[in-house]
Amino acid sequence: MTKSDDLARIVTGCKRGDDQCFAQVVDMYSSRCYGYFYRLTGNSDISDELLSELFVKLVEKISSYKGGSFEGWLFKIASNIFHDYLRSKQRQKKLLETQKNQLESEVGGYKQSEGEQFDKLQRQLGRLDEDTKELIMVRFYGQLSFKEIAQMRSEPIGTTLAKMHRGLKKLRVLMEG
Amino acid sequence: MNDRNRENLAELIERLFHGEQSGSVLQDIQQGEQILHENPAPEPDRRLIADIKAQIALLIPARQAQIARWRKYKRAAVAAAIIIITGISATFFNTSPPEYERTYSATIFPTNLWDSENIEADDENLAVFNVQIDQIENEIMILESGDDTGDSTRSIEEMEIELIVVSNDFWKE
Repeated sequence: MTKSDDLARIVTGCKRGDDQCFAQVVDMYSSRCYGYFYRLTGNSDISDELLSELFVKLVEKISSYKGGSFEGWLFKIASNIFHDYLRSKQRQKKLLETQKNQLESEVGGYKQSEGEQFDKLQRQLGRLDEDTKELIMVRFYGQLSFKEIAQMRSEPIGTTLAKMHRGLKKLRVLMEG
Repeated sequence: MNDRNRENLAELIERLFHGEQSGSVLQDIQQGEQILHENPAPEPDRRLIADIKAQIALLIPARQAQIARWRKYKRAAVAAAIIIITGISATFFNTSPPEYERTYSATIFPTNLWDSENIEADDENLAVFNVQIDQIENEIMILESGDDTGDSTRSIEEMEIELIVVSNDFWKE
């Protein structure tokens, strides 16, 4: 049985409401999805919350999955959850205007969890704009093709590729600097 | 994470970038992605994964009950819609001629009398009644003309008695 056959069987089980199949999906994708959220937020507590929210949404929305790339579908949900988080963060930021200087000094504007140490990559990712950072992460952790990413972002494939090229080049320069 | 490139990246870049540029773009992308491989993100906590699985196990029965309820409502709505559409269609598109309504009614007249061409001949009681009417009519005419030879008061009383008898006999029938 191939990997895609296995995945198709698991997804069918999920649609039937089999909790063991959902558990298998969690085992298969939790690491990649957590990495995606962590690299975007730089905060393990927030990543924990977003990962939980993602799998709750998966249970709620599994009946709307009509075939095609499961990773593409799952990471589209992950991306929507991240954008919802960004919007709520923007609202919170307005309330925290008085603490502006403190927030700006933190990497990428995100607050670290207590005792959390950023690696070099996380620090340099904080220097990229949100859109580029998300593009790189959805490509890396979602393992999506450029065609799938372009469809997900509703933009021409050339635009996606050019943004990715610029982003990765800048990240390499930052990492080497 | 090696199976994501279901597309040929080099070919795609060559199509979109030209000449030497395509080579450097491919190299930049590959080197950038190598950095991500060399710096893995932390793994999620095992307790978090266990919590998520437990949360899913709790969520599934509630979700399935919700879906079952929703399907039931949907079926009821579809059935109602079909009934309404069928009713409207039957009203608007029924072209067959209307069925004549049959009316039933009771009558105090016997059928043979109702259908008769000569009522006096067909009904004995009516013939007697007609003779009595004629007789009374004659007596009234005699009284009116003053040709009555007897006691006129007596004649009127007799006629009244006779009318009472006729009336009683009529309603007896």
